[in-house]
Amino acid sequence: MTSMNMLKLTRRGFVGGCGALFVSFAIADQRSSTSPSRLASWLEIRDDNTVVARTGRTETGTGMSGYYIQAIAEELSMRPEAVSLIMGDTDRTPDGGYSAGFIYGMSNVRKVAAYTYQALLGLAAKELMIPIGDLTVLDGVVSGGGRSLTYGQLVRGQHLDLIIPVTGALPGTDPTKWVGMSSLDGYSVAGDPPLKPMSQFKIIGKSFPIPGIPDKVTARTRWSCDVRLPGMLHARMVRPPTVGASLISVDEIDVQRFPTARVVKRGNLVAVVSTDEWEASRAALVVSANAKWSDWSGLPGSDNLTQTLREYPWGDPSSKGSAADVAKAMTGASRILSASYEQPYVRHAPIGPYVAVADVRGRASATVWTHSAQSQGLRARLATILDIPVEHVVVRWLDHSGQYGRTTLGGDGAEADAVILSKLTGRPVRVQWTLQEDLAWSTASPGWVSDIEAALDVNGHLTAVRSTFYSPHMFDPRPVGALLAGAPCITSKPGGFIATEWPYDRISNRFEKAHGMPNLGADSPSGGLRGNILRTPGQRQQNFVLESMINEAAAAMQVDPIQYRLRHTTVPRMIDVLQATAKAAGWQSRPSPRAGARGIGTQPLVGQGVCAITRQNAYWVGIAEITVVPATGAITVTRFTIGVDCGKVINPRQLDRCMKSGVVMGLSEALKEEVTFDTRKVTSTDWSRYKILTMAETPEIEVVQISRDDCGFGGGSEAANAVCPGAVAAAFFDATGVRARRIPLTPAYVTRLLRADS
Amino acid sequence: MASEFQLNGTQVSVSAAPDTPLLFVLRNELKLTGPRLGCGMAQCGACAVLLDGREIRSCVTPVGAVTGKHVTTVEGLPALWAARHSRDHSVAPKALHPVQQAWIDEQVPQCGYCQSGMMIAAVQLLEKTPDPTVAQIKDAFTNTPPSPHLCRCGTYVAIINAVRRAAAMMKT
Repeated sequence: MTSMNMLKLTRRGFVGGCGALFVSFAIADQRSSTSPSRLASWLEIRDDNTVVARTGRTETGTGMSGYYIQAIAEELSMRPEAVSLIMGDTDRTPDGGYSAGFIYGMSNVRKVAAYTYQALLGLAAKELMIPIGDLTVLDGVVSGGGRSLTYGQLVRGQHLDLIIPVTGALPGTDPTKWVGMSSLDGYSVAGDPPLKPMSQFKIIGKSFPIPGIPDKVTARTRWSCDVRLPGMLHARMVRPPTVGASLISVDEIDVQRFPTARVVKRGNLVAVVSTDEWEASRAALVVSANAKWSDWSGLPGSDNLTQTLREYPWGDPSSKGSAADVAKAMTGASRILSASYEQPYVRHAPIGPYVAVADVRGRASATVWTHSAQSQGLRARLATILDIPVEHVVVRWLDHSGQYGRTTLGGDGAEADAVILSKLTGRPVRVQWTLQEDLAWSTASPGWVSDIEAALDVNGHLTAVRSTFYSPHMFDPRPVGALLAGAPCITSKPGGFIATEWPYDRISNRFEKAHGMPNLGADSPSGGLRGNILRTPGQRQQNFVLESMINEAAAAMQVDPIQYRLRHTTVPRMIDVLQATAKAAGWQSRPSPRAGARGIGTQPLVGQGVCAITRQNAYWVGIAEITVVPATGAITVTRFTIGVDCGKVINPRQLDRCMKSGVVMGLSEALKEEVTFDTRKVTSTDWSRYKILTMAETPEIEVVQISRDDCGFGGGSEAANAVCPGAVAAAFFDATGVRARRIPLTPAYVTRLLRADS
Repeated sequence: MASEFQLNGTQVSVSAAPDTPLLFVLRNELKLTGPRLGCGMAQCGACAVLLDGREIRSCVTPVGAVTGKHVTTVEGLPALWAARHSRDHSVAPKALHPVQQAWIDEQVPQCGYCQSGMMIAAVQLLEKTPDPTVAQIKDAFTNTPPSPHLCRCGTYVAIINAVRRAAAMMKT
């Protein structure tokens, strides 16, 4: 409670007719003794008994905007309908942060609301002249001593400031960090205001609707692609024909044919701008067809990716665990299993390509409309690109197509194109990427190979696991427009990223290594195939390897794979979710493969498979049921059961939706997704060549949720995708007796595998 | 050279060149932002609108080709529903189309970018098949030319539930 005593509620003055309580913070090194922070407030209590809350974090489709409102309403003892949220605008939100930091942000909003609640109780106690302890609050109405006052009445006619303590900073350049930036989580609310106990929650835990949905359904939402400014130019980018080409020459535009269009360029960044979007679009095709670029063919080709990674002279890896302990356990093992797994490049591939609008006024100001998931990080990156102070950049956030991790670090996107073009033209510029451009030039999740060994004792118990992961750079969100223009960029370092978390406490020894290398084609002006994080980054890949090996060990020991997992963990939450999910799935407890498994024939074979993961204080289990037709290699996932214990469930219905949709994304990766490229360029540049799951391919999905009041909040959405590939690959083995150690399980790959086996 | 057509029940005249995709005309000249640019080549469905009651992809449809026809965007769905019930005064003219209401009730949109097109596809399906099975819904959203309706957030299950809910609402 010490921190509560440090809080000061001050009255700036009395105002006629309205009033509010503003909750903000002061930063130690900028704080003046006389004026409160100039920054936007976290929260305002308004005299109509409503609340406006602000966060730099943004809605990415998973419902964060709703969950934060539930948390604020809970701590303030209000109805969620009385709380509105402003997200992501750097000039209107105080704290920074990103969508990936949901739990961190949840802690912030709860504490802000809790501090405010205490301040409001103090005001009410004075007003009603009774002790705080004798007050009760329901739906924003404070009662005591036979009288009641709304929060709105408490602040009416006054201008009150509550300054709360924070630590941290907004994102900035930090070359010592892997991603080249620090403070991606922004400010953190300090101290320990009294929070409502989870067991007494009335708002959190209930299925409130997400506030933005009616506007999305009735076309009232203003999307980032909808921004139109006076004098604005539409731009279409003219990208190089290969990943590594340099511009030799570009023709001027035929003004007879395209009277309002013109070419704008800087370095290898080329665009056509026009007041008319269709004219910009058509003229860009002509300019693109006639532009001359240097030849380049510096990629290995996606068919040669595995060989390229195998032959690369890897440097020192990152590592985790004890090499010596694992080596000792391996020496004493009764049996050692080893296997290698791999996956090609995959990508985020939203339905809406990147779009951004920028209005750059010399060095004085740059205003950017974006759908980035990291507004403050993007702001820092754009300040570097424009070489202007970060205070001169304003980023305004709006809804748009999902991002799935690609803008989590504030990079990638069309914003760099837009600010550079706006600076060059002196006009506001809207840059709309095409799908082909997005599927070729946005960042991607790099392909990888991994080797894993497991030691078994005489009882078939796993005693040690040793793994090595090899991948190109996974943290390079530099925007391609800045790279092509030769503008300065905040840069990251290629490094080995170890992302696994470990639910198997009865496997005593483990040693993990991860090697990183630069992007493929890194020396080219575009930076090459820039690798970036994608939903459940690193862990999605590395956990697939670990869980696949556990399935292999269970099969080698002829033990049911769920029983085998239960033998290797004493973590109660993992045990509970394994058992509950197995029950919901109607899991047949038996070893894999099933009796009658075979790799030939035209009849569909059935199989079941399991995969688990623990991530961000959550435990997940996925169980796949599939059919496979050996003759065609066609796999159909007929049913998928997904279970989670993510601590306290905030909103069961929204969690249900997020789990089901996460399964769709995970099955898409398991069955279909592969970025292809030849030696010059990415070739999977439309939906017929970068295939994602369709509705017809979506199975029946069962959901199991376990909510707990004693384990805090966990990540309840992200990792749903990560249990799918492992479960599907295990089900394939169950059906056929053949191991698939590569995803995606396309008909071509499956047919090849089964032929090689027979 | 102006193109004239009926847009959500109102006659409009636009100045864009006839080869301009209907999508750009709707968004830039007519300020209707419900249909959105996805692939630009009829592969995803984000730009879908109804032309004389049939779904088309506005990203590849020149505005000149809709002259004299009826275009319905997601913004026009309430009016479309009201027109169907013009003699039934229990339907308020500004009530949402049952498909839209079902989309809200089922909390379908995540990012929501594809959902205008999804609702258009649902309206077309329910016109022809008032009580579709799950298999019929999956088939309609996947195998109707020119392409599947794609959702990257993965809301397909919610869409199936919403279509069935809308079907029930439209029967009563």
